[in-house]
Amino acid sequence: MAANFWNSSHCKQLFDQEEVDVVHPLDKDKGITLEDFKLIKMHMAIPICKLAQQVKVRQRVVATAVTYMRRLYTRKSMSEYDPRLVAPTCLYLASKAEESTVQARLIVYCIKKMYSDDKYRYEIKDILEMEMKILEALNYYLVVFHPYRSLPQFLQDAGMNDISMTQLTWGLVNDTYKMDLILIHPPHLIALACIYTASVYREKDKTAWFEELRVDMNVHDVPSVEASFVYLTALSFWQDLVKNIAMEILDFYESHRLITDERINTAFNKLKP
Amino acid sequence: MSENDVEKKVADRYLKREILGEGTYGVVYKAIDTKTGHTVAIKKIRLGRQKEGVNFTALREIKLLKELKDPNIIELIHAFPHKGNLHLVFEFMETDLEAVIRDPNIFLSPGDIKSYFQMTLKGLAVCHNKWVLHRDMKPNNLLIGSNGQLKLADFGLARIFGSPGRKFTHQVFARWYRAPELLFGAKQYGASVDVWAAGCIFAELLNRRPFLQGDSDIDQLGKIFQKLGTPTPLLWHDLEWLPDFVEYSSQITQPWRKLCPTASDDALDLLSKMFTYDPRTRISVQQALEHRYFTSIPLPTDPAKLPRPAPKRESHNPRTSDLNNGPVVLSPKRKARRVMSDREGFDGNSFQVDKVDERGGEIRWAAGDNSGRNEPVLMSVDFSVFGSKPVSRPTINSADRSHLKRKLDFEFQHPE
Repeated sequence: MAANFWNSSHCKQLFDQEEVDVVHPLDKDKGITLEDFKLIKMHMAIPICKLAQQVKVRQRVVATAVTYMRRLYTRKSMSEYDPRLVAPTCLYLASKAEESTVQARLIVYCIKKMYSDDKYRYEIKDILEMEMKILEALNYYLVVFHPYRSLPQFLQDAGMNDISMTQLTWGLVNDTYKMDLILIHPPHLIALACIYTASVYREKDKTAWFEELRVDMNVHDVPSVEASFVYLTALSFWQDLVKNIAMEILDFYESHRLITDERINTAFNKLKP
Repeated sequence: MSENDVEKKVADRYLKREILGEGTYGVVYKAIDTKTGHTVAIKKIRLGRQKEGVNFTALREIKLLKELKDPNIIELIHAFPHKGNLHLVFEFMETDLEAVIRDPNIFLSPGDIKSYFQMTLKGLAVCHNKWVLHRDMKPNNLLIGSNGQLKLADFGLARIFGSPGRKFTHQVFARWYRAPELLFGAKQYGASVDVWAAGCIFAELLNRRPFLQGDSDIDQLGKIFQKLGTPTPLLWHDLEWLPDFVEYSSQITQPWRKLCPTASDDALDLLSKMFTYDPRTRISVQQALEHRYFTSIPLPTDPAKLPRPAPKRESHNPRTSDLNNGPVVLSPKRKARRVMSDREGFDGNSFQVDKVDERGGEIRWAAGDNSGRNEPVLMSVDFSVFGSKPVSRPTINSADRSHLKRKLDFEFQHPE
């Protein structure tokens, strides 16, 4: 599982938090703050998710679409790339890249059904044009790894693969896409952080398992020389890293309660031309 | 600078030359990259026809080639949109393995065969290490560069096979290279399908003709069993549970020595392991590369010294000069050929448009039989109206024109 992540374009494209938290100058001019920026990105995951349910694609496609959107905004402004068009287009592109193609026609139809609002009136032509622009902005890197893949193995290994724990951690992983974690951390560490968070939440002591796992990964999973440096670095801070990610997740839930519709609307209104 | 200007600037980096091939999702041009001076092949992907944006097959290819960088895999150098079409820039490849195998003037020594086949497996190993199935291994998807390097190309059918238990279509590969489990309709399969196809390529290199030439799926299985014997549940446990399983009359295995008379014992041993019926016990690409065949004498030939089809004529070919004096037709090449058919210059040099294979998704960009007699043209100059390659000097003088007109009139009166 890890062997192909370490030499993937995804791995090479991981960002530092500081690189992700940069508001594009064009957006700054409109008064968009870092908080607005994060809020809009978080909020745009919702229509992607809703749309995905309508057109019936897997969670994996949603995750890839959100990742594309978040990667896009590390390079491009929201003023030039309207989030309301970017979101459905990312889902469209992700559906193709993840081999479950959805017709552009269907996406446009579903958007119209979901929103009466004029701001969401986009035609097929707009989606196709934006698709090309997004592809270019992503530099045509389309393969994304997600925490979902390693989740069942980890859960089974930890003896926590009952339905309730599986559902809880799966839900936690879904929620990590409301943050920028997928741009910053290797996906299996995000998976572990979610398991860690879940075990703390359900008050299950899994310290021993996490210790064991660390040793295990040390022995089996060291890939090529080039990647092993990255890997060993990760390994030595391994527990801290997982804990830090888990803390971020908890922080997110904490602040998430305080977000109001009004706050979101204010952020979106700043984007108006 | 407006968006279009940026686009034009990128496009103008490439000097467009002749068309190398055409397929269902676009045209392939030869071009010069003015930034590096290298010759490249540009695949122009048509968009908008079905209102489905970037072609799905093209997107697969882009997605996977961006992950696979290796000396034995075709390099996707650059991709850019221009005038609503997506252009993919690949390194230019001189020829392909099919041309080598078919060329009666080429003698392949055992070392040459070993070298070509080793490069094939090396490229495939890179794919499998990254969990990518190629699913369209065949000699004309193995391109050969000017330094003799062989590279896997055409990833339009390739997929990532990471998640276990995921179902795939069995309608992959050209029939002659299709593994028996696919012919029996297996939906869950793995890297072993590429190994079977590689085995077919190996046998084809040794025998200089396709190894298993069935003319239908049923016949393909018949051809396989005729040579390799009918598999029994003992040899292949899951056989009877495959979706399209049908029983074939029992045939006995023919000795490999008889099937490939020129091959060494080591080669035959490797072959038999690649043609193992049960996909689970079939040799992996990595194991195949470690087979003693590759370390025994003769060693693989240095790629630069490998025999290749004679180099293509270049633009300074004397014959092109007298051709330039003659009339050049600005009409669809179908007509051009008819009008010019008596002209020697047009015969051998007509654009090589590959036969579209059964899935019709095929385009080639290895050099066809084109002599590059056109002046370089900027990428942004669109010749699509001609439906043909750029014609640099359409010198139709008045005398020629009346001659042409008569010919065209003639065609009008007798429509086909």
